[in-house]
Amino acid sequence: MAQLRTGFLVDTSRCIGCRSCQVACKEWNRLEVDKTTHQGTFENPRDLTPNLYNRIRFIEKADGKGGVTWRFVNERCLHCGDAGCMKVCPSPGALYRTTDGIVGFDKEKCIACKYCVSACPFNVPRYGADDKVSKCHLCLDRIGAGMVPACAKACPTQTLQYGGRDALIAKARGSGKKLYGENSLAGLGVLYALEGTPEEYGLPADPSIPTAIFLWKDVLKPLGILGFWGSVAAVLVHYVTFGGRKIEEDPAEKGGDAHG
Amino acid sequence: MTNHWIDVKNANVVLIMGANPAENHPVAFRWILRAKDNGGKIICVDPRFTRSASKADIYAPLRPGTDIAFLGGMIRHILENKLYQEESVRKYTNASYLVSPEFKGPGDAAGLFSGYDPKKKAYDPKSWGYQKDAEEKVRKDETLKDPLCVFQLMRKHYSRYTPEMVSSITGTPVETLLKVYETYGSTGKPDRSGTSLYAMGWTQHTVGTQNIRAMSIIQLLLGNMGVAGGGINALRGESNVQGSTDHGLLFHILPGYVPVPSADLPTLEKYVEKHTPKTKDPASANWNGNRNKYITSYLKAIYGAKATKENDFGYAWLPKLDPGMAPSWLVLFDNMSRGKYKGFFAWGQNPACSGSNAGKVRKALGTLEWMVTVNLFDNETASFWKGPGTDPAKVNTEVFFLPAAASFEKEGSITNSGRWAQWRTAALKPLGQSKPDAEIMNDLFFKVKALYAKEGGAFPDPLMNLTWNYGFKRADGTVRSVDVHAVAKEINGAFLADVEEKPKPGQPAPKEKKLVGKKGEQVGGFAQLQADGTTSCGNWIYCQSYNQGGNLMARRGKKDPTGLGLFSEWSWAWPVNRRILYNRASVDLAGKPYNVKKAVVYWNPNAVLPDGKLGKWEGDVPDGPWPPMGDEKEGKKPYIMRADGVAAIFGPGLKDGPFPEHYEPLECPVQENLLSKQRINPAVRMFSEGGLAEDVFATCDTRYPYVATTYRVTEHWQTGVLSRNMPWLMELVPRQFVEISVELAKEKNLKNGDPVEISSARGKVEAVAMVTPRMRPFKVANSTVHAVGLPWCFGWFTPGVGDSANLLTPTVGDANTMIPETKAFMVNIKARG
Amino acid sequence: MGKYVERFDTKERILHWFVAASFFTLLLSGLGLYSLLFHGYFDLFGGGQGAILVHKLAGLVFLAASLLLFANHVRDMSTFDDDDRAWFRSLGGYLSKDPNHLNSGKFNAGQKAFGLFMGGATVVLGITGVINWIPATFPAGIVRLSLLLHGLFFLLFIMVVVVHAYLTTVGNPGTLESMIYGNVRRIWARKHHPKWYKEVGGE
Repeated sequence: MAQLRTGFLVDTSRCIGCRSCQVACKEWNRLEVDKTTHQGTFENPRDLTPNLYNRIRFIEKADGKGGVTWRFVNERCLHCGDAGCMKVCPSPGALYRTTDGIVGFDKEKCIACKYCVSACPFNVPRYGADDKVSKCHLCLDRIGAGMVPACAKACPTQTLQYGGRDALIAKARGSGKKLYGENSLAGLGVLYALEGTPEEYGLPADPSIPTAIFLWKDVLKPLGILGFWGSVAAVLVHYVTFGGRKIEEDPAEKGGDAHG
Repeated sequence: MTNHWIDVKNANVVLIMGANPAENHPVAFRWILRAKDNGGKIICVDPRFTRSASKADIYAPLRPGTDIAFLGGMIRHILENKLYQEESVRKYTNASYLVSPEFKGPGDAAGLFSGYDPKKKAYDPKSWGYQKDAEEKVRKDETLKDPLCVFQLMRKHYSRYTPEMVSSITGTPVETLLKVYETYGSTGKPDRSGTSLYAMGWTQHTVGTQNIRAMSIIQLLLGNMGVAGGGINALRGESNVQGSTDHGLLFHILPGYVPVPSADLPTLEKYVEKHTPKTKDPASANWNGNRNKYITSYLKAIYGAKATKENDFGYAWLPKLDPGMAPSWLVLFDNMSRGKYKGFFAWGQNPACSGSNAGKVRKALGTLEWMVTVNLFDNETASFWKGPGTDPAKVNTEVFFLPAAASFEKEGSITNSGRWAQWRTAALKPLGQSKPDAEIMNDLFFKVKALYAKEGGAFPDPLMNLTWNYGFKRADGTVRSVDVHAVAKEINGAFLADVEEKPKPGQPAPKEKKLVGKKGEQVGGFAQLQADGTTSCGNWIYCQSYNQGGNLMARRGKKDPTGLGLFSEWSWAWPVNRRILYNRASVDLAGKPYNVKKAVVYWNPNAVLPDGKLGKWEGDVPDGPWPPMGDEKEGKKPYIMRADGVAAIFGPGLKDGPFPEHYEPLECPVQENLLSKQRINPAVRMFSEGGLAEDVFATCDTRYPYVATTYRVTEHWQTGVLSRNMPWLMELVPRQFVEISVELAKEKNLKNGDPVEISSARGKVEAVAMVTPRMRPFKVANSTVHAVGLPWCFGWFTPGVGDSANLLTPTVGDANTMIPETKAFMVNIKARG
Repeated sequence: MGKYVERFDTKERILHWFVAASFFTLLLSGLGLYSLLFHGYFDLFGGGQGAILVHKLAGLVFLAASLLLFANHVRDMSTFDDDDRAWFRSLGGYLSKDPNHLNSGKFNAGQKAFGLFMGGATVVLGITGVINWIPATFPAGIVRLSLLLHGLFFLLFIMVVVVHAYLTTVGNPGTLESMIYGNVRRIWARKHHPKWYKEVGGE
């Protein structure tokens, strides 16, 4: 688990659903346009895509008494401290951790196995026409140059904030909001300040590495290596102890030695 | 705005009504959130639960077109519960004025005010006059008890706006009304302030002006004018629309809101006589009394040396309106429909989509011999001749398209809602053959000038005599390229001769001659402008913006000593860098702030001035340098732009009444106005009586049973000419949609995402249905009124996205400004395909 | 009477070696996918994407060959009698130096279990392999389970194959000939699979 020094905070109480974050990301990363249709909601596109690293989810709910809440939630890679995608990635360097704790990706090293898609508790990595992994990388190039991610820069209401993780946590705590992601998955690099339960924002209440992935990587893999060498050892021990089962020559057998 | 954007953070209560800043001013919305961070409460009143409402502490639904009922109820609540700030109401408004006994209000006169002529559809305001004493001074009752005083007349007028009555008109539940009234009314305390943020949701109605008047009355009652976190704040819709009205782009004003002369004022003297308010009150500064200095300086700016005392400073060359003519947008296109124009410049606009009753506009364009459109992209106006239902073979209009540069390809100033003129440099050069508007105008000017020189014309003087010193003049007299700094400097103005300080009336001439300004220098402020032709100034309210010190609009100083966010060294605000207007109403008669913690200005009696005198204002630029009103010798009243120096609770200068009164929109869902016998605003111009089929309207018509409103979305810009050409924006909101309630969807058998058709008496539009609980039906009297809403950012030029919502809107406008009523009209909706 | 008796015909031997070869190709190309620790094996195939391509193609070959092989031998693997139960009880005699004579058919009980396991594992690996190949068409939970099962059954498979490789070569001299030449020495048949020897014409 990496030491998370910088962090990103999504303060949902300030979001006005303007989508500057979606457009700024596309502009900075030179991403293609997604073809969309109007489906009776402002939310568009309806899901992250290989060309949409972050988006706003619109959640409207009637309370049955004439009132309504309308929440806007920024959805993106959360740069988990214990990242499922990194856990399963078989290609070194395709998904990697920076010193700031960001999970970056390198398309040239990606081998398109798509394991990361299954391992992410938040369903983030996407594969496009180039068959390479695609997701938010917190604008590594901008951060390297001392700037903040494009989405945070464009956000007009300071909903998206980049900075020291501890400082962001302290600030969010100070304003009395509920913090999401402080300790899950060894601490998420992207935290949320919520005014309700995680479910109300479409976030899993207790995110963790999917069980099957955990079993595969943390149980099966080590046991497997043990098992393989175990059978090799068993076989060697057996040979040394009992030897092979030799067949005596039967003098009654006549005939050539060659196989017919 | 009377205040400015950053000031919103100082408010204890922010009332968002008639606006949707989260969606239309997303960057500025941060200041509303700061107000919330500082413990303030946000109230949002809107027919829809918008993205602004999602951040509000209180949301109140409101039937489109019923804002005056809502606000009238608030006025009544403030009066009944004594929430008003007594001293400032008494001293700083006309609440104490006694009105003529002939005056009758709608409560007595079947929904009308006294003096109405039904044939002319206009009021004679004689009965709205004040009682005068023998010396022609207005009679007052400072105790505010006389039944004919403004205060009591107001109380009587708004006594009819009970919560039950208001609720049955607006459809807002009574408990919500009271919650809003109580919360906002709490800002009547001296240490609390409330700000009003409004936009087209208030102005685009037949009662638009009166909507704002109603809020002005509330702000005056609560003492929220001139204070930090207060004010009447229009959220301007286009980035530089504030600049455009400042510089006189509307039909009725010259730069600086100076009235355009009408043809029945043939001389400058007659003009000055008509348009200069007079007062005998020594305590009233009556700043518009300086009108002659501004009109003369303006004429000197544009006509230079050719404007002399002998030729009335070229006044004869100023275009004049026909008396009584009001060539607003609606009138222009009506005239065009009747074939009155040969040619038309559609400059930086897309009337085929932005004009109310767009079908009428599109048809009108076909009557033209020629049209020049100046824009960045091809659009519904430039290509009207091949629009749906138009046969190009039958259109005889020759259309020219001049490609224009975008705002970031040009240097210049943009004035925001808060009156801050912020100078910007160009980020890139214009693409291809596109040019900045100034260059296009420059080329056009010299071409027309050459044609006049060669061929003569009916009246070439107004154009031929212009100075046009906007850049290096070549040997042939033409300007090759416009230097925008030269324009800005001319707007600021200069001394055309050495100007001496003139003695004050009744005072002896000073011993030493003191120069106000030297010949050739930039003017330092409009107080230095002269009426004798020795100064020039292209726009008196911008005088100081580019003074001898340089381009103040380009400043980027971040000092904020008061902590109120005035940022007086960041750019330059008109007038004279005053950040909060009427700030002398924020202090008591002695100059002590009503709210010491958030003082905008305060009078420091011990400050020593350079000339040895004692006493000056600290803080923001005071709204008038004179001592506070309590100073008997030199004190002045705080509302210096009004002839009598006080704010108007009673406003006899408007066409439709001195008190705002609720009338229904032209097309409305109720047979009768619940409040009175007068259903609609009696002073609006009825285009429907003009004989054009397009001006049809349908009220209480079973064919169009639902109220519709139109609006913008964050993701698109105006009619969409720019944003429909931006794929990343089209991705967000790809086509025309209509928001409808779950209840209405059920009635019409519609599901979310279904294709639908919305129709009005004038046209129809295809859209995708957005079925949402954020739209709710209104309980009006005993019936249910459904409302729908749609944006107006789409047009046929982009295939497959739907056409303009303005195909549905009516030809009717506000009684005073004629801004079209696009926020409340009647439609039907049905499934399509 | 010759010294040898036929055990496996040409078709069976070809199928077996296709299975073996494709298995080892799958092993080498899949090790890097199984764990980051083995990413070096990608180099054998010119990189990870090459390895995945080879793994998919070899997988198809393996699936077809293995299913055919299974179908071919299934009759000899699907019955269990008392002799088989006796075989299991003494673990085939492998845990003693000089075991008693065990009466086995063409395949002894251990071999039958092995064959059945191979058949089942082939199916599981085949289905999970296809799911892993086109994960976008399946629900996320199914894909995760598939990744786990594919890894689990690969692991079981390789462990079993290690034992199979030992028992068919060093552990039981004379066995390998059956899969290379197709026939075995009579004495081998009499000793290891007496019931089968009787059926095909021995005493």
